[in-house]
Amino acid sequence: MKRREFGLLAGTAGLALMSGAGRTLAQGVDLKPTSGETVYFRGWNFRTDVVQANVARYNQQMDGKVDYATVTGDYPALMEQNLMAGAQLDMFYANPSSACRYFDAGWVLPANELPNYAEIDAELYPNLKEAWTYKGQLLGLSYFASTRGTMVVNRKLFEEHGFTDADLPKNWDEVYDLIYRMKDKGIETPFLPHWFGEWFGISWGFVLEVINRGGTIADPETHQPTITTDEDGPYYKTLAAWKKLWQSGMIAQEVFTFNEGGYIDAFASGRYVMSPQQIYDIETFNRPGRSQIAGSCSLVPMGDHPWGIIDSGLYVMSNRERSEALTDDVKKFVSWYGFKDQDGKIAIAQNWMQENMLFSGYKSVMESAETAERIKKAIARPEDYEAILKVYQNTPFPKGIWSVVWSEEFNPFLKETLSSFLFDDGDIVETLESMTAKIEELNGKYGI
Amino acid sequence: MAVGSAGQAIQTSTPSRKPRGEMSDTRFAFLIGLPVLVFLLLVVAYPLGYAIYMSLHQIVFFGGYRANFVGLKNFIDVWSDKSFINAIWITLRFTVESVVLTMILGLCLASLMNQRIRMAGLVRTLLFLPWCVSSYAAGLMFGQLVRGQTGILTTISFAFGGTQGVDLMGRATVVEVLAVANAWLMSPLVAFFLLANMKTIPKRLYDLAAIDRLTAWETFRYVTLPPLQFTLFVFASITTVLSMKMFDMILIMTGGGPGTASATLTYQIYKRSFKDLNLGYGAAMSFYLLFFILGATFLIYLVWGRRVSR
Repeated sequence: MKRREFGLLAGTAGLALMSGAGRTLAQGVDLKPTSGETVYFRGWNFRTDVVQANVARYNQQMDGKVDYATVTGDYPALMEQNLMAGAQLDMFYANPSSACRYFDAGWVLPANELPNYAEIDAELYPNLKEAWTYKGQLLGLSYFASTRGTMVVNRKLFEEHGFTDADLPKNWDEVYDLIYRMKDKGIETPFLPHWFGEWFGISWGFVLEVINRGGTIADPETHQPTITTDEDGPYYKTLAAWKKLWQSGMIAQEVFTFNEGGYIDAFASGRYVMSPQQIYDIETFNRPGRSQIAGSCSLVPMGDHPWGIIDSGLYVMSNRERSEALTDDVKKFVSWYGFKDQDGKIAIAQNWMQENMLFSGYKSVMESAETAERIKKAIARPEDYEAILKVYQNTPFPKGIWSVVWSEEFNPFLKETLSSFLFDDGDIVETLESMTAKIEELNGKYGI
Repeated sequence: MAVGSAGQAIQTSTPSRKPRGEMSDTRFAFLIGLPVLVFLLLVVAYPLGYAIYMSLHQIVFFGGYRANFVGLKNFIDVWSDKSFINAIWITLRFTVESVVLTMILGLCLASLMNQRIRMAGLVRTLLFLPWCVSSYAAGLMFGQLVRGQTGILTTISFAFGGTQGVDLMGRATVVEVLAVANAWLMSPLVAFFLLANMKTIPKRLYDLAAIDRLTAWETFRYVTLPPLQFTLFVFASITTVLSMKMFDMILIMTGGGPGTASATLTYQIYKRSFKDLNLGYGAAMSFYLLFFILGATFLIYLVWGRRVSR
């Protein structure tokens, strides 16, 4: 071989090697698994076809051995039992409130342990990073970040009865005023409240409304209760409005037994004018063939206060006993799945945006041209795009009750208490005092 | 030897000694029962013992596992818990309705299958199918059937020009809906046992009833029903136990709601143990459920079983 030929060959081989390594080292981290052991990935039941395809791509392109399955039923409780029992579980979905609890129990490896943590940190929106950080540790990587309680409006029914944009509410007090005005104009079911039967139903409905009205429920730092019983306070006003609404007979009892699908279907049926919903479900409501109000669903722009609260899901790493090599593989998979793939793209999050308009915690996903195009395709009017971004960027997080170990114990209490309050015509002050007492009891239980 | 009242010879003499080296009946019975005893010890005694241990402790998982001995505190605290008292009444309502419905439905199905009908085999297979359905699946199915949004009554109402959905998942009816679903699940088994029992009733009794010109109801009341008493008692006891223990269907169908309208004891035990992670308190509640089950079956035996099992 001539020297020139040798040089050319060596150069080509070098380039080929570098491109190969470059693919797996796109984040400065080698993402190829090495242990040969299985990584167990468990999640709740949402678009399992998409997740399965993502996992298959990882297994195929990275020679991975990821085992994916869903956990059906009462997810937080079942996942907690799995973790407690030391089940084979390496990466799983969790809401931040559950993740805090798991972290305190020592069942979670924080995302700070990932080798590319600095890069992840720089990509996250600050409000989401704060929501997902507990005791100085990032609990997991962004699965989705949404606004639960975005006030959506069925423009068709709204405008048919002579209402215009000028009538749209700017705060929760105006929401209730408008409900009764709509009722007076002959709309049978003007409002679908966030009172459905899921663990994130009525309890979150109360939390989001109180937080929007300026309440905190518990102090974000000390977690001591901050619920007041004065009639002008956010807590009293919320329950007073609920009681009046329930007693008006406008809300069917079946709302209390809806699951999430039932709640979405109910609004998509076109029977209601307004409802606090998940921000990304605007896409569902505007999808022809899926919704009776396709092309007519807008959101109420942010007025005096933000609408809703941050509802997010994380990819969390478990801290179970396993070999060091397998733990490294888990980190690699979490990094690939929850952040950037071997090509340096935030592919999974971008794919969720395309598939279901799931919002992400990563700036480069949310600020990409693809995302803008996707959101614009899902909305009824061009001006809704800016409104969506404004609502999303200003969504608060109830840190006082969600970034604390007892969050998942307070939530079922709240669900039961609020349902009983409405059904049994409960006393507002007594109900609020029972919430304070519960928080104090939980703080006592955990020595907070 | 003595002669019993039925004219049967009863052995009264002392049994002859077993030849040396031969195992006694008691020892043999113990030996063949030993594997079962060991199995029971593993699958029943250990969890039961552990449940007793938990019920006497406050178990904390967070901030390091701790089990603090609290004595009978959990058992006492339960009685000042409104949700527990509420759950007792809901469980009672659900159980009574379930058992009555199951017995009536089982009896009707058995009577139907006891008739000479065409394609009897197919009918029996179809009638047995609900028993093969898991309570989880039944919960999903009934949930869809009775909800205002998707329910069959809403469909019928709309078909006849109605504009409102018909929702049976409201507070007033949710327990009854659960009881119907439960009876739908359990009645086929009851029906088949009753049918087997009906087949043993001598045909000549029906001929005599015909000669005496008994009506269909009188024939059922005086000829068919008396020999079924013992089977009915046994299944009333079994369905009582199964209904009091029912959990998955309730969780799937109503999640204890609306509000706490269908939160039975099993649901409350689940909630306390696995949502509140208060395992000691949940274990104490589960012992009360055990006592209630034992109490209910004993009561059925006292008022009914003692009479019919003689």
